[in-house]
Amino acid sequence: MATEATTDDHPRVTASRPRRSGKWRVTSGLLATPLVWLILFFVVPVVLVGLYSVGALTLLRNDVFLSMEKWRFFFTSDTYVSLFWKSVRMSLGVSITSVLLAYPIAYLLALIAGRRKYTLLLVIIVPFLTSYLLRVLAWRVILGEQGVVNSFLETVGLVDQPVEWLFYSQFAIYAVLAYVWVPFVALPIFVSLESLDEHLLEASSDLGASRLYTFRTVTLPLSIPGVVAGFIFVFIPTIGEYITPQLVGGPGGFMFGSAIQSQFTMGLNWQFGSAMAMFLIFAVAVLLAIFGRFLNVRSVAE
Amino acid sequence: MGQFDSVMRNEQTRRRFLRSMAVAGGMGVLAACRKDVQSGGGGGSAASASAIPPITEEAGELKVHEWAGYEAKWLWRNYAKAGYPDPEFSFLTNTEGAIAKTAGGFEWDVTHPEIGYIQDYYDLDAIQPWDTSLISNFPKLNPVLSEAGKLNGEQYQIVLDWGYSGVIIRTDEVDPSINSYSYLFDDELAGRISWFDTPWILSMAHVTLGLSSDPLDATPEDLQTAKEYCIEATKNLHSIWVDYTQMWDDVTQGNIWAAYSWPDTYVVLKEDVPVQYVKPKEGVFTWAEGLILRSDTENYHHAHEYADAWADVTVGQRLVSTWGYGHSNLDIDLSQIDPDVVEVFGLEDPEGSLNSGILDAYQPQRTEYNLAWDEVKAAAG
Repeated sequence: MATEATTDDHPRVTASRPRRSGKWRVTSGLLATPLVWLILFFVVPVVLVGLYSVGALTLLRNDVFLSMEKWRFFFTSDTYVSLFWKSVRMSLGVSITSVLLAYPIAYLLALIAGRRKYTLLLVIIVPFLTSYLLRVLAWRVILGEQGVVNSFLETVGLVDQPVEWLFYSQFAIYAVLAYVWVPFVALPIFVSLESLDEHLLEASSDLGASRLYTFRTVTLPLSIPGVVAGFIFVFIPTIGEYITPQLVGGPGGFMFGSAIQSQFTMGLNWQFGSAMAMFLIFAVAVLLAIFGRFLNVRSVAE
Repeated sequence: MGQFDSVMRNEQTRRRFLRSMAVAGGMGVLAACRKDVQSGGGGGSAASASAIPPITEEAGELKVHEWAGYEAKWLWRNYAKAGYPDPEFSFLTNTEGAIAKTAGGFEWDVTHPEIGYIQDYYDLDAIQPWDTSLISNFPKLNPVLSEAGKLNGEQYQIVLDWGYSGVIIRTDEVDPSINSYSYLFDDELAGRISWFDTPWILSMAHVTLGLSSDPLDATPEDLQTAKEYCIEATKNLHSIWVDYTQMWDDVTQGNIWAAYSWPDTYVVLKEDVPVQYVKPKEGVFTWAEGLILRSDTENYHHAHEYADAWADVTVGQRLVSTWGYGHSNLDIDLSQIDPDVVEVFGLEDPEGSLNSGILDAYQPQRTEYNLAWDEVKAAAG
């Protein structure tokens, strides 16, 4: 009765209800598939890994039932905590290098290349149609002791002996990972720059600002969301990276990701590996929150 | 007593797992594991002959969990010739992963681990002993290796292929007369040494230092000493190789003068580069692997036929001459093998060669070794 009275009193509300309900159904229908996918293949596995790390799930003989032992071991181990920070440093370095290399590319494509920008964008992406491992190993031909760079340096007489730090080194890790990730960083920056209102640039120019001043005060701040997105695109996957450092990093290529992998494949120490993997997930989440706050992305975007 | 221990351990594993499943109630993803752990019934005891149906009543679709490359038909030609259906192969990339998959319910009839891991499968209740009377080639196999495939006096593994983990050196840069694992740690070879990513490096440091305990099961003090020695030696490393062919290239180009390697490196490189395969005076570490039989296999006789095919002398002949791996069949015709390979493997006296080395074995402290090895790698660079 009360419902009817309300309905009579507010005919507009009643009229809009079926439309809202239909819209909700469409929205939830659209969201359902990715949500189920995300729950099944991200949330559930993460929860399982979390449970495994504390022994709520056990499978192997040396797993400890309901125990924080592996977490305690991790936090009291200088080796693994140091490896984590080593990976953070590498990841930050690679992310910053990638952004610095990708920005001019994105700028060129979005604001200078004109009609050819999409063709050029395709050209940048083309190498990524080949295998990841092949692209990484190809750097051996370029940076190796008998590689292109060393051969050139020796031929022109700049060095007598091959430059050894070019390969199997931290430099090689940074160079190869930056190469791998530059296109992924360039894309979000490109999108930011492309959606830039050109009237703002014209206005800046009309008011007498130099191109550099315009870049510094208009273009760069407005492209920061793309820069941050690109940075995060690199930072998250590279912090757990282990294949590239292992292939090109030489003795120093052992990272936090390598240590996690080693627990699963070499040590049959899944519980410890799970604890480290969970720690990495938490750490990345916290670091991203800090970056987000520090960079104040939303206010820049607004 | 040992068997009782094992039964207790298996029981505890089972209970613990069931408790785990209760905690994770509703998580059907792992439900298969329970089935597997419960169903493994043969570990520790021979299958009852009366319970095994004859070969004609078996399904015959043998599931073989193998290393990539080991599915080659010439390795089981006699099995194929006998008209049995081709096995269904799945591939393992490392034994620890295969053990974990087995614990998680992955099904196979036969798999091919190193001898150091039979105990792990046994502890999972996943394997049963072979009936060697069903394998006609078994009496021809190297008794040293066959002995290594036993647990509690029963033949749980038919050990077939084996090889050394020695050192390949460039003889134009390194003095071969030193003949020691010290090549892998030597300050004079700084920047030209390459290790493989394996905790066995710790054991090699252990024997180089002449420590008194078992190099594969060291006392905590000796493990610590070996670890510190390795950490100190990381400054001399060129690389820790993960890609075998990349290491071969580096040896060929002279970037590496001493590397942890298996004998096939020598077989491949000896024509082009001045190299020698060193079986160090401390005793060469020797790996061996072979086939194990699933406790609840429905293809018991087919599995034996498959193992028999692998154990045939023709397989051994080809494995040694083309892959540079050892084979446990002692009837191999040495006149058909490269004399250098015969010498490297000590094939004139394979039993003596194996006895003078350090044969792989179950490592009760595997976790400790792996953690120590992580520390070494973390200290490098």
